Amino acid sequence: MKLSRWLTVLLAAAGIALAPAAQAQEEIVIGGSIPMTGVFAFAGIGINAGLQDYFKIVNDAGGIKGRKIRYVFEDTGYKPDVSVAAFKKLTGANKISLYYGDSTAFSRTINPELERLGSIMMAGASLATEINDPKKFPAQFMAGPDYSEQIGILLRHIAKEKPAAKVAIVYSDSEFGRDPVNEFREMSKKLGLTVAVEIQTAPGSVDVSTEVIKLRRADPDYTIFHGYILAPIPEFVTQMKKSGSKSHFMGTFWTMDSSTVMKMGEAGDGFMGVMPYRYYYDTSAKAPMLDKIRQLHPEYQNTPYLQGFLTAMLFVESAKRTLEAGKPLDAKNLKAALNSIKNFDTGGLIGVPITIKGNSVPVGRIYRADMKTQKMVPASDWIVVE
Amino acid sequence: MRIGSARETYSQDEALFDSHTKRVWLCVLGTGLVLFPFFAGQYWLYLACLVAINVASATGLNILTGYTGQVSLGQAAFMGVGAYAVAVLEKQLGTPVLLNLLCAGGAAMLVGLVVGIPSLRVKGLYLAIATIAASFILHFIFANWTRVTGGTAGLTVPPATIFGLALDTEFRLYWLIMPFTVLMLAGAANLFRTRIGRAFIAIRDRDISAEVLGIPLLRYKLLSFGLSSFYAGVAGGLWAYFFRSVTPESFPLLMSIFFLAAIIVGGMGSILGGILGAVFMTLVPEVLKLMVGWLPNASEAMVFLAPVRTIVFGALIVGFLIFEPHGLAEIWRRIRRFFHLWPFRS
Repeated sequence: MKLSRWLTVLLAAAGIALAPAAQAQEEIVIGGSIPMTGVFAFAGIGINAGLQDYFKIVNDAGGIKGRKIRYVFEDTGYKPDVSVAAFKKLTGANKISLYYGDSTAFSRTINPELERLGSIMMAGASLATEINDPKKFPAQFMAGPDYSEQIGILLRHIAKEKPAAKVAIVYSDSEFGRDPVNEFREMSKKLGLTVAVEIQTAPGSVDVSTEVIKLRRADPDYTIFHGYILAPIPEFVTQMKKSGSKSHFMGTFWTMDSSTVMKMGEAGDGFMGVMPYRYYYDTSAKAPMLDKIRQLHPEYQNTPYLQGFLTAMLFVESAKRTLEAGKPLDAKNLKAALNSIKNFDTGGLIGVPITIKGNSVPVGRIYRADMKTQKMVPASDWIVVE
Repeated sequence: MRIGSARETYSQDEALFDSHTKRVWLCVLGTGLVLFPFFAGQYWLYLACLVAINVASATGLNILTGYTGQVSLGQAAFMGVGAYAVAVLEKQLGTPVLLNLLCAGGAAMLVGLVVGIPSLRVKGLYLAIATIAASFILHFIFANWTRVTGGTAGLTVPPATIFGLALDTEFRLYWLIMPFTVLMLAGAANLFRTRIGRAFIAIRDRDISAEVLGIPLLRYKLLSFGLSSFYAGVAGGLWAYFFRSVTPESFPLLMSIFFLAAIIVGGMGSILGGILGAVFMTLVPEVLKLMVGWLPNASEAMVFLAPVRTIVFGALIVGFLIFEPHGLAEIWRRIRRFFHLWPFRS
């Protein structure tokens, strides 16, 4: 054999031997359009910290099948056009497999691009019912129940606590607020609950005196607020309690951070709501992952942090399963891997093992505000929406 | 140093680009715009398209506010009308792109004509409030005319298609958006060489005097509203093709303030001012982000410097208003003057 042919054979052999090592060192890049400024910054900062912390835990333990995670993100100011710019910038400069988006508008806008690329699976802060449709949004998911499922969880709890109760919904006149109203009507009917009143308020309104009068006249046993972070919930609760109303007040995920509820003051005592995750300080059951978070941060971590953390867990689990199956990290394989998750242990972040059938994690629990201890305490067992 | 440009005919005097130097630079700019997509990455192409859409809409507002003196805070809502028109036409009728965009402009123009009616009786802040009211009414229609607009969930727009080619990437969309913007800019620049444009300026400078000169105020004010809304409508249509999702929350009041800020920062009553203002308002936040990215430990720095960036952007706008009330266009003029007179001082 000629020398040149020997050299070719040797080089080829070396290439084969070195290829797995090179592949093992290839990073898995995860991108994010994160609202570090703007109206949603309170959540964005927490989400970012949750994502970063879990990726660090995974990298410190050797990565995913030997491949380290590199997390790249851009601030969006919670503006969809800036979020898209961040997506273009990050995907243009990196080979991204997984992505975190910051809003429903972004999820919807970027969806055709995700379908066109076919290489990225995305999760995000949006819990909009619309996104929980694997046919329309095949490359996306959310690390919690969508808004309709959250309303379903609240109504199931109400029906169990007080059958045939009178329920009311107060929602903001926005896409966010209107999202679960139909589900509220249908589920109330299905569970034998009576809809006392539906009240719509202008987004950001503070003076709600006329709406309070309307609510007081309807005299519901339970009042659900949706489409707000905080205002005008305290105004409603305070004025209703002053007028002697015995209604129980409830909220959905974005209202339910401990620090937000505690801002309601005395009036907020007993305020309930649906939470997909265990609170940072909830030690009512064994939760090794929460213990890890407490070790990392001795101070309270908010609920968006937990959402970011669980999203990171699901990203990593999907990537791990895809790589174990020997498949490339593209949207189709990653989503199939995500949907293969059955009875997954979240390390106590969620009190029951989770199964992801569609685009959501349809689990939640009712927590109640205890103003004496300044904590949210469990008011129900974990409720899984089938 | 340029010592003058001799004009021998009226057409030379009226020419938009009246010197050889200007025409050379125009050719350079044109060549740059044609070559840009072949060298730029998807991020810069995305920004170029976004800037072009914003320039088109800001130019529309400049016609109304900068040249005619009618303050409007309804530009975003007019863009919304255009965007919904394109979404509905594309989804339900599948009509050609160019027709859709013209219809988008036409629909917005009709709405603009109605909104402009109070302009004969009210001026300044009062007119601004009237346009805000109109914008709220339009938002209400977007959110509640569910059968047409899809309600709060809005509409998803199929990609624009020209000769069977789907314009679904920034590279392809650039060839739709940039020519439209250039055409609209050329139209606006030419408008102010005509009787109509000069009537607008006369109304801005003193409406009573303009009427004495024989300019029918109602007709020209409405025409200005109509033209401005047409620009907004086409820009909205391009926006719909670009983002492919239109919801009532896509066009908030803040967006109208953005366009007003753009023409103020750029320089009201100047086509170049509208362009520079829109470029400034769109790109400066991105440039500031890039600058943070150059810092050591950029990832950590980004977390802490994100709010600082917003403050710097705000401070830049305030700074321009204080130190250069005539806007970026005036700075540009000063730079040009410096080179015209170089090596002598102005």
